[in-house]
Amino acid sequence: MTSSGPGRRPIGTTILRTGVALACAFAVLAGGAGWWQVVEAQRLATSPDNPVVIAAARRTLRGPIVDRDGRWLARSSRDANGEALREYRDPVVSHVVGYASRQFGTAGLERTYNPELLGLAGADPMGGLLDKFDPSPREPLGLRLTLDLRLQRAAVQALGRDRGAVVMLDPATGEILALASTPTYDASAIADPATAAATFERLRDDDAKPLLPRATLGRYVPGSVFKIVTLMAGLGGDAISPATTFPEQPDAEQDGLVVDGFPIRDGHHPQTGDRALDLVEATEVSCNLWFALAGLATGGERLVGEAEELGFGAAIPFDLPTAASRVNDGSGDAPGGFSGEVELASAAFGQGGTFVTPLQMALVAATVANDGVLMKPHLVSEVTGEGTGAGPVGPETWRRVLAADDAAVIQAAMREAVEGDLGRLFTSGAKGTGVPTAGKSGTAELGGSGEPHSWFIGYAGGQTPRIAIAVLVEQGGRGGERAAPLAGDLMARYFELYGRP
Amino acid sequence: MSVAAPALPIPAIRIRPRMRSTELLLLALVSVALVAGASSLGATQRLLAARTAGETLASLDLSPPDPRGLAVYLTALFMVHLAFVLAGRRTDQVLLPTLAMLGGIGLLLMQRLPQDLVVQRWGDVALGLGQLQLGWLLIALLVIAALALAVRSDAWLRLYKYTWAAAGIALLLLTFVFGSEVNGARLTLSIGPLSGQPSELLKVILVVFLAGYLSENRTLLAEESTRIGPLRLPPIPYLAPMVAMWAIALGIVVVQRDLGAALLFFAVFLVLLYVATGRPAYVAGGLLLFVAGSWVLYNLFAHVQLRVDNWLDPWADPLGAGFQAIQALYAFGRGGLLGVGLGAGLPTIGGRLPVPAVHTDYPLAALGEELGLIGLLAILGLYLVLVIRGLRIAAAAQDDFRAILAAGLSLVVGVQAFIIAAGNLKLIPLTGITLPLISYGGSSLLANALVVGLLLALSDRGAEPPPPPRAPRRGLGRLRRGAA
Amino acid sequence: MDGFLLTLWLVRILFLLLLYAFLFAVVRVLLRDLRAASRSRGELGRLVVLASPRGEPPAGASFALDVIATLGRDVNNSVVVDDPFVSGEHAVLTFRGRSWYVEDLGSTNGTFVNGAQVETVAAIGFGDELQLGEVRLRLDRPRT
Repeated sequence: MTSSGPGRRPIGTTILRTGVALACAFAVLAGGAGWWQVVEAQRLATSPDNPVVIAAARRTLRGPIVDRDGRWLARSSRDANGEALREYRDPVVSHVVGYASRQFGTAGLERTYNPELLGLAGADPMGGLLDKFDPSPREPLGLRLTLDLRLQRAAVQALGRDRGAVVMLDPATGEILALASTPTYDASAIADPATAAATFERLRDDDAKPLLPRATLGRYVPGSVFKIVTLMAGLGGDAISPATTFPEQPDAEQDGLVVDGFPIRDGHHPQTGDRALDLVEATEVSCNLWFALAGLATGGERLVGEAEELGFGAAIPFDLPTAASRVNDGSGDAPGGFSGEVELASAAFGQGGTFVTPLQMALVAATVANDGVLMKPHLVSEVTGEGTGAGPVGPETWRRVLAADDAAVIQAAMREAVEGDLGRLFTSGAKGTGVPTAGKSGTAELGGSGEPHSWFIGYAGGQTPRIAIAVLVEQGGRGGERAAPLAGDLMARYFELYGRP
Repeated sequence: MSVAAPALPIPAIRIRPRMRSTELLLLALVSVALVAGASSLGATQRLLAARTAGETLASLDLSPPDPRGLAVYLTALFMVHLAFVLAGRRTDQVLLPTLAMLGGIGLLLMQRLPQDLVVQRWGDVALGLGQLQLGWLLIALLVIAALALAVRSDAWLRLYKYTWAAAGIALLLLTFVFGSEVNGARLTLSIGPLSGQPSELLKVILVVFLAGYLSENRTLLAEESTRIGPLRLPPIPYLAPMVAMWAIALGIVVVQRDLGAALLFFAVFLVLLYVATGRPAYVAGGLLLFVAGSWVLYNLFAHVQLRVDNWLDPWADPLGAGFQAIQALYAFGRGGLLGVGLGAGLPTIGGRLPVPAVHTDYPLAALGEELGLIGLLAILGLYLVLVIRGLRIAAAAQDDFRAILAAGLSLVVGVQAFIIAAGNLKLIPLTGITLPLISYGGSSLLANALVVGLLLALSDRGAEPPPPPRAPRRGLGRLRRGAA
Repeated sequence: MDGFLLTLWLVRILFLLLLYAFLFAVVRVLLRDLRAASRSRGELGRLVVLASPRGEPPAGASFALDVIATLGRDVNNSVVVDDPFVSGEHAVLTFRGRSWYVEDLGSTNGTFVNGAQVETVAAIGFGDELQLGEVRLRLDRPRT
């Protein structure tokens, strides 16, 4: 029996509210559809795994990739069955150009610029309505790189059988001239369906990891090359100046520097006697204790902050995937994510929990060379061909990291570290060019019995340096012995090719 | 004095044909639209076939891929309309055309997909996907016409609600015991040559039962007689069905592995509870139960975990579990704003469809690709029209039972469309339920025909109002005449 | 060939346009109905006569109700119920807040809601049945 209580509400109201709620739910659906079909449409439609893209890749002749002088690096032809076949000129560029394989997908620039190279780019949701019926709607576009094949070859040859990486770039524009990683691999063998499976399997299982682009994705202990970052942080934060000396430094070289009750030991520098070193001398002899003290004076937060300005802490925006370099793992409670003063002091001379990519360290050198302004690194100077998406890619300023006068201080120190009386002893061979050269070597101790990683970062070219470089040789010994002369040779090669200033 | 009132005598039915001009006009629009769609489909298919064969077409042939099938469908629509006109009932004129449009889009899609996706053989006769869908659509129209014309009293629904509930539970148990597994879910019940998904029928039964139960206990449920701390609850006995419903939903997930049906039942139940009582607390409480249940299910059952993980990151297993979901997103992406056109989408991979369940679980992805965002929004709009119209019928219903029944029926369609559409669009985990009126499948089409047919019957505004009573002799102005 | 593609494209777009034409037409119908509903907003409920042995009011008649409606045999009532078992001023229906209430005005034979006798005042909902004497009426929701 129905009784009517006073709490009863007219049913029409609740029905109306329900209708409104459902209409809102449908509005959310419309939003979701808009997200996938408009906002994300381009990305989805040109994703390398999209069946349409895969089908197009089988038919389409991918656009050519050439180096800065127009030498071909990758080109396509048709095989006997009329299917597209990709060919690569030289294994030295494999880590840059990558590969496009039917079985194994794409890598390198072939992946980044897949839509352009296939002619799928620029498919805006409104336009191209008639084109949807065409198997190959637009002409595939090509790429002109900033890379110089001759320098790239020189870099790979110089690394020889060692595992390592070389990055060379124009500090004023961010143009990458060489981006070498060794060992490398034959991309043509992966692109050829006949040999792809066997090649890929062999490369994947190789202990030397030839598929790893060490220059962009390899992360290494930096050793002393990180001291340049410490200098930037200290000078930028006014914690140090060119005249800064630390009175406790000479004694500490005998007894160890006690930080938080923990002694940091470092060898004595016989060349400088027992005096307290200033900024330039400390850089020349690469005095770990001076940099430890400078780092402590600067503070962890400032040091990490400066590093992040340089691109640490996140993947560097680039034409290729990059690994994020880091000063520490960020798990500590001390400022900047350090676990304490000991880690900060060690990081200041590159032996803390710091890991860097060769590309990142090349950017550090380039920033100093470019008077404190960091340019965005780029590999592609022009998307060639006709159609949407084609056009030149100009240099782009990323940001000013350092005041020009602070940059000048570091320039002087790095110059002395290569050309000075003391510096020459540590970086023998970096100067082989006959042009003013600046730099910093690094010897990254790995602990254990293995040889240290050999590092050098620097630049050359007088008033306005034209070439900056980072060299890493895995377990190559002391920086001055392996990486520095290698860098010297490559910079000499550069000036040979492009003329001295 | 209070004598038990005898039943209201049913007045003699005088059948007088009534023009239904709105319905006629809308059906005409539907016909023109479907013919245009079929033309574009046919022409595109011929063009692409010629391309593949390396030929060039001499002229553009705009005839539909299956002109006879389309003609049969459209004729059937107008025959239903004619039957409504002759019956002269004052039923809703928007529901049939909206259903016809959705059904027609589904038919075009099924004619467009590879016909051997589903094949049914009777001796020498083999029917493909499109023909089967047409057959089911015709049966569905028959059901709608029968319900809309024949149902004049709701007593058989109202009075036997517990019988319906028992039948529903029996159906559920039958499926638990005898159901066969398809795609890891125990959903299909086979009786001889016929097989169907009982959960589709079950949703209608559920709504009928809930309408009966809630309209009877509305007031009690709205009262706040039990207090537990700050919580003010209705009398405990009246909460029992709510908990039972929740348990049944969980059971469906566990035993049948049918997340979609469970979600649909529970959502419709909660919303109806709100409609009947006007107390949002029920919805809040129900949501809490839902969250708790989901958490338990996620942690205990691998198939639930798989669905959720696959939703969160289909790219974790792009060639396995995540494959369909990713391919569906690619399809949406390829569609863009205006779509690639009917018949031009869905490229095959190695001769196979990238989305195998496109005709049941992912029709929206196919439509999104071929009709684009614009087309997709129109389809969502059609569902919304269906729901709003249904709720409107509910709001105008003469009593609570009819109101809740009409609201429930329209919600069941709306919520189901939302759940599967949101699953396709990766807004919620995908649950394998059908897109009402568009997806392939006899059970789904018939159940939704049942829904629309009942809504039509409920929308009947009755015969012409009788002549007004004599005007009040000394009216005080408070009473107005009854005639509208 | 381009002519083909253009024609085909036009047919494609035509289909989408027709979809929207349909939606537009439907929404117009919906809006028209809503407007019609809002025009008849004035009434708050309806009283439908289910059974009336004397024929006044006639069975099947329905009365639109304002906030207050009196029922009884007396001709001054809003709804005149001409039945020997109905008092002159029998009962009054009032709409207060959101619900209807029925008040028995001290009638001889009483007022019943769904068969239960009303003690002075009782709430009455849509669909409930009201009985005065031999006349049975049902309170319906307002017509829209």
